[in-house]
Amino acid sequence: MGLAVYLGKRAVRLVLSLIAVSILTFTLLQLAPGNFADLQRVNSGATNFGGVGTESMVGELESRYGADVPVWKQYLIFMKGAVVWDFGPSYKYASRNVQDIISEAFPVSATLALLAVLLALLIAVPIGVFAALRQNTKTDHATMFAVTLGHALPSYLTAAFMILLFSATLKLLPSGGWNGPEDLILPVLALSLGPAAVLARYVRSSMLETLREEYVTAALAKGGPRRTVIIRHALRNSLIPLVTVAGPLLAALMTGTVFVEALLRIPGLGLYFANAAASRDMPLLMGTAMFFALILMVTNLVVDLIYGLLDPRIRTVGGGSHDGH
Amino acid sequence: MTATEGVEAVVGTMSTGEPEPIERGTTARGPWSRAWSRFRKHRLAFGSLIFCALLILTALAAPLIAPYGYEETDIQHKLAGPGAPGHLLGTDLLGRDILSRLIYGLQTALTVAFGAELTALVLALAIGLLAGYLGGRVESLLMAFTDVMYAFPSYLFAVVMVTVLGRSIFALVVAIGIASWVTQARLVRAQVMTLKEREYVEAARSMGAKGSTIAIRYILPNAIGPILVTTSFAIPAAIAAEAGLALLGLGVQPPTPSWGAMISEGSRYLLAAPHMLVAPAVLFALTLLAFTWIGDGVRDAFDPSGEQR
Repeated sequence: MGLAVYLGKRAVRLVLSLIAVSILTFTLLQLAPGNFADLQRVNSGATNFGGVGTESMVGELESRYGADVPVWKQYLIFMKGAVVWDFGPSYKYASRNVQDIISEAFPVSATLALLAVLLALLIAVPIGVFAALRQNTKTDHATMFAVTLGHALPSYLTAAFMILLFSATLKLLPSGGWNGPEDLILPVLALSLGPAAVLARYVRSSMLETLREEYVTAALAKGGPRRTVIIRHALRNSLIPLVTVAGPLLAALMTGTVFVEALLRIPGLGLYFANAAASRDMPLLMGTAMFFALILMVTNLVVDLIYGLLDPRIRTVGGGSHDGH
Repeated sequence: MTATEGVEAVVGTMSTGEPEPIERGTTARGPWSRAWSRFRKHRLAFGSLIFCALLILTALAAPLIAPYGYEETDIQHKLAGPGAPGHLLGTDLLGRDILSRLIYGLQTALTVAFGAELTALVLALAIGLLAGYLGGRVESLLMAFTDVMYAFPSYLFAVVMVTVLGRSIFALVVAIGIASWVTQARLVRAQVMTLKEREYVEAARSMGAKGSTIAIRYILPNAIGPILVTTSFAIPAAIAAEAGLALLGLGVQPPTPSWGAMISEGSRYLLAAPHMLVAPAVLFALTLLAFTWIGDGVRDAFDPSGEQR
């Protein structure tokens, strides 16, 4: 199977899943009290706090969805807009369009997530290698115990402990907000610990496996310095399987950003998503949810592609998805 | 995250095992008692089990143990620090006793987590057994559906569900349960797929046993180990999900306490009253760790060859 065919198949599947997710979300939100394009509620200011711009919003919604349009038609109108990157106005953030909010907030979340991945790798690789080289010693057990801690606690709880330590006790860092580069430190740190724990565990077991390989023994037998053999031969090869965890990891990170942003009041996509849900801002909720799903699916596709490039067997098996939660 | 990890661990390393010969003699040591004795040797897991049993008892007896009601305000002592007279862990912004709110919050957390996982388990067993056993159209339907749900981040789904159903215990149970059954259903199906090719199942079939009898009497009991492992990892995940939703302002309706809401509130008054954040964060962390360690113990008990921790 050629790469083009494989890519095409995956792209079709991605679009189909995205449509399915959109139908599911849209249908569910229809069941929520106050339907999708509820002019009545906007009119009465039920969701539009402060009542700013109510008049114009009613006009906008009316011109977009019409006055009495059946549900399936509303869905089609929504999707027609979504395809051309136009989700219409938000209820809560009056006078702002959903797509503008997304394009403003997404870079914030993406920055957090990418920095967190980098930091996680920087923490995890040395720890994993270190633990593997000292397999079954006290150091190994202690490190793996610490890893369990990082793995079991959700990132928002880590963030809570960090603001207790760095903001309340040491008074070094701000406890939230988004005013300068110093506001990046706590969320990135909190977001990276969970993934770092997962990665460290993988690096350790993968490293243990590679250390048992014959080429490592051979390299050592030939008299190669231990350090060089470990870094050049063992570490390099044991990092390849890490790609498989990248998908679930990025998904977990995106989940993490939602909660950490909410706790630390960072105006990223997650915070808007949460606020949209809490204030029943349907267009914003639908828009952000679809965007999250899209990012997740594209990430998974890219991870699969990279993995396919590294290991051509995956491609022929077809699919080989690493969709994660 | 923990739940998915659990599944991977199970699917990856756990052998469903040959069906244990059931000896009903004096020396009978069924898989259960062997698992239990292995579990007991796992000190961390056993200690966690005792801790969690205490938590469950506390939640059940909350009205007896909690010194105050969760709504009761002590206007004289707002934002009292820990150790204040009558308030061991201090009070919050409205003068409500934090210890009492923690205890009732425990009730919320455990009710939601156990309710949600029970829902998920029942759904997963029913659909997974059906799909794995019947195959054909039911199976392809399930797989198509689980594919969609896999693409749908579970927390996104839970948020949408709570938006639809409103903020109640019931809504949270349904939202978290439905968001997490998919992984379990896949696991059940995979289990059934391997088990139904086994000789003893074939023997039962050749003796004329009905499909439902085979599924429930012969396949289910042997699939239960791995399912138990994922479920025990799913419980802390559900506790974290409940707190997370509360953090987003989508938990139970106030004034009913939830740890997530307490953490979010505490973070807002961090400088004035750090004790409002410390107490729920510490108890929440301990609870999550204890339930996770129980999961580790259960996994090792059913699969001693698996990687430790």
